[in-house]
Amino acid sequence: MTRGAVQSVEDVVKNIIAAELRVSRDQLNPETHLMKDLGADSLDALNIALRLEEAFKIKIPDDAIPKFLTVSDIVTGVNDHLSERQ
Amino acid sequence: MRRVAVTGIGLITPVGVGRERVFQSLTEGRSGISRIDGFDTSALKTTMAGICRDFRPEDFFDEREKTRLDRVSQLAIAAAESAARDAGMNDEILNNYDTGVIIGTGFGGQESVEEYCGAYFNNQGRRTAIAIPKAMYNAASSNIAIRLKTRGPNITLSTACSSGANAIGQAFHMIRYGQAERMIAGGADAPVTPVVMDAWKDMRVLSTKNDPPERACKPFSANRDGFVLAEGAGIVVMETIESARERGAHIYAEIIGYGATADASHITFPDSEGEAHAILRALRDAAVHPEEIAYVNAHGTATKLNDISETEALKKVFGSRAREIPVSSIKSMLGHSMGASGAIEFIATVLAIENKKIPPTINYEEADPQCDLDYVTEGARELKAAAARMAALSNSFGFGGNNAVLVAASSNDITA
Repeated sequence: MTRGAVQSVEDVVKNIIAAELRVSRDQLNPETHLMKDLGADSLDALNIALRLEEAFKIKIPDDAIPKFLTVSDIVTGVNDHLSERQ
Repeated sequence: MRRVAVTGIGLITPVGVGRERVFQSLTEGRSGISRIDGFDTSALKTTMAGICRDFRPEDFFDEREKTRLDRVSQLAIAAAESAARDAGMNDEILNNYDTGVIIGTGFGGQESVEEYCGAYFNNQGRRTAIAIPKAMYNAASSNIAIRLKTRGPNITLSTACSSGANAIGQAFHMIRYGQAERMIAGGADAPVTPVVMDAWKDMRVLSTKNDPPERACKPFSANRDGFVLAEGAGIVVMETIESARERGAHIYAEIIGYGATADASHITFPDSEGEAHAILRALRDAAVHPEEIAYVNAHGTATKLNDISETEALKKVFGSRAREIPVSSIKSMLGHSMGASGAIEFIATVLAIENKKIPPTINYEEADPQCDLDYVTEGARELKAAAARMAALSNSFGFGGNNAVLVAASSNDITA
């Protein structure tokens, strides 16, 4: 059950990153670095944060966004916020 | 006082993309007005506009760049890059502090404003974290600098329908008076949106002759019923005559005069006095006598008020000779692209001089006793010099009473 929920967060996160950065989902693994590997910049990070807030109904604090460097950073971050909420 | 040459042209209009295609369409009298199909027009009285259907953003931008740029910035960047390429300017020439950009726009990133407001007020449309940098008025000029690496003065100005003309005029003076070596200047607007169409509807100044759209816009004709809204971009590269010669660049024409005035009377009602003074100031700036003007590219919106007022202004300046000067309105074919129109029309004036050919005023059907000049209604006509050197005017008169007039002259005496 828990494992399934984690998987689905990762799925949603990957979908959002792929859509915002116009890359294929296949390019994304946990260690993919948004800026170094995918050419994202701070404005992309803001849009990804906005989409995450909409998708998970969470509030991402300003100081969390600069820490969203890799796919797994974001998945972990979202999971933290989800568990805080509960 | 330095002399300034036009050496690069970028055009995106409802009758095509690129100077050759656009000028050919204009001299053939082809209209670019078509039915709006991008959004629901069922509540509108006007269902047509001048849309740049040949513009392919994917020729200039990848998918991610497109999401970062409002349509107005896409039009502006594409036209600027085309103009720089046309002028034969590479990074080495552009990437410095002596190259600047001035862009005029009436509506800025309107589509992005509407998208964000829709999401904010009605939960329609998509929120984005980059609404501000997409929608801000200076997005177009700043993105041109980012794209072409021009590090000199970067200015956006907004004077409604004369924005593009003021941008070119100001940039011309910057080069003439030594504040820049070369400038990328012009206008861009993308106002064909649901909200703007609705707002113009309530002002009752848009033509409602929707069928067929190509025949709607009838400048100077007694049965005209308003302008047709359009989008587009017109951008030129200007540099000193010396620099153009040294580079061996093609000189389309020399820009020799710029005059701007404010009516200071009414926010929308035109005043022929203010318009006439803008023309006179441009002629004085050019050191050209009214007798020497061979052609006037009119503001010619096809509203009742503009066409009468502009005709009066030309009579005030040219006296009895006003009837002998060919005057044409290419808005009859392109519609009114707001802040872009003055720049596109200046470019058409330059191309008319270079090709010695006047694009006509199409859709003229009924004589109006208050509009009694030679509006070139029979089709394209040969442009004949009125003096040793061919010189022509381009008029732009905007809401707010913002008038801007540019004078261009043939490059014969420079290149001969």
